[in-house]
Amino acid sequence: MTNLRSPVAKGSSKSAEATKHFMMQRVTALALIPLVIWFCFSIALLPQVTYEVLVSWLKSPFNFVMMFLTLIISFKHAHLGMQVIFEDYISNLKRRSMAILAVKLLSYLSMAIGVLSLLKIVVGGQ
Amino acid sequence: MAEFKLPVNSIVKIGKTFSATNNNAGEKPKNTRKFIVYRYDPASGENPRTDTFEVDMDNCGPMVLDGLLKIKDELDSSVALRRSCREGICGSCAMNIDGGNTLACTKAIADIEGDIKIYPLPHQPVIKDLVSDLTHFYEQYASVEPWMKNDAEVEPDKERLQTVEEREKLDGLYECILCACCSTSCPSYWWNSDKYLGPAALLNSYRWIADSRDQASEARLDDLEDPFKLYRCHTIMNCTEACPKGLNPAKVIAKIKSKMIKRKMK
Repeated sequence: MTNLRSPVAKGSSKSAEATKHFMMQRVTALALIPLVIWFCFSIALLPQVTYEVLVSWLKSPFNFVMMFLTLIISFKHAHLGMQVIFEDYISNLKRRSMAILAVKLLSYLSMAIGVLSLLKIVVGGQ
Repeated sequence: MAEFKLPVNSIVKIGKTFSATNNNAGEKPKNTRKFIVYRYDPASGENPRTDTFEVDMDNCGPMVLDGLLKIKDELDSSVALRRSCREGICGSCAMNIDGGNTLACTKAIADIEGDIKIYPLPHQPVIKDLVSDLTHFYEQYASVEPWMKNDAEVEPDKERLQTVEEREKLDGLYECILCACCSTSCPSYWWNSDKYLGPAALLNSYRWIADSRDQASEARLDDLEDPFKLYRCHTIMNCTEACPKGLNPAKVIAKIKSKMIKRKMK
C-alpha cells in the first residue's frame, strides 16, 4: 500500500534535554526574583554610589556571594530564553544553530568576565 | 525567519458586493446586515478577495452558519464551506469569525457587532474560500496514536472497568471534536506547525495518558520529550480562548509538562 502519511511529527528532533531545558528556565527565573530584588535594594540603599563605596560593598562575603549568583544565573537564564526565541522565529536550521551557539558563547564569555572582575575586586586590594 | 508579510499573490483584495434579494412580499428588506466573506479560488489564478453580502435578517436563522447558507442559497452559490451537523458536534464549520476561531453553527449573529467578517482558519493552506486544508492537522492527531493500548487479556464479553474517579479524569478531554480552532489560533503553531504538535493533538495525547485503562502512558510521554513537539507551547492561551466546546487545552498541556517534570525528578 502506498504511504499517504505526510512527514509530520514523526521526524522531529529527539532530545532528552527538552524537559531539562524547560525546568532550568523556570528554576533560574525563580532564583532571579529574590536576587534581582536584593540587587536593586542594596544599590539603592548605599549612601552614595562611588567607586570606593561599591568596592567595599562587594567585599562583604554576603554581597560577594549574592553578586556571584546573580551574574551566573542571569546569564544562564538569558541564553536559555534566547535559545527558545531563536527556535521559534528562525526557521533556517543552519542560521538557527549559529545564532544559538553565538548567544551561548557570548553569555559564557560575559559570565567569565563578570566573575573574574568580581574576584579581582575582592582578592586584589583596589 | 518566520514570515510576517503576505506574499504578493496572497494579498486580499476587495471583491464584489451582493445586495439582499427581495423578500416574499416583493419588497426590499429593511433589516439587513453585511457579511464580509473571504473568497479564494486557486483555479482562477486571481488573488483572494473579500465579497460583501447583504443578508435579510428578518428571514434568516440566528447563527452565522444560517447566514452563510442563506448567502449560498440566494446570493452566490459558489461560496465554498464545510458544514454538517449544524449543532457544534462535528467540527466541520470551524472558521475565523469576527476575529476569532469558532464554529459558524454555534456563533450567534446577534453576538457580533458591526459587519460579520468571515475568513478561513488562520495559517492553513486554503483549498477554496472558507475550506482549509487540514491534512497536516489530522496527521498530527494520528501521530499521537489516539487509541487504547492495553495488552492485558480480557474475556471478550467483559468490559475494562474504571472507577468513577478514574473516569472523571477524562472529562474536559474526550469532548474534543477536532475542529482545529485551537491549534490554528496558536502563534507558536503558526510559526512551527511542522514540528510543534499544537493544542488539539496534545490534548488528545493526554486523553490517553490520563486514561486508567491505557498502559502506554510512559511511551506516550517519551514521544513528547522533544523541544518542539511539546515545548513550543508558551502558555499563550489562545487555544483556551478559541475552543468552541469550552475546553482548556492550555491547562492540559501544563499537566503534560508537569508529568514530564515529575518523571524527571524520580
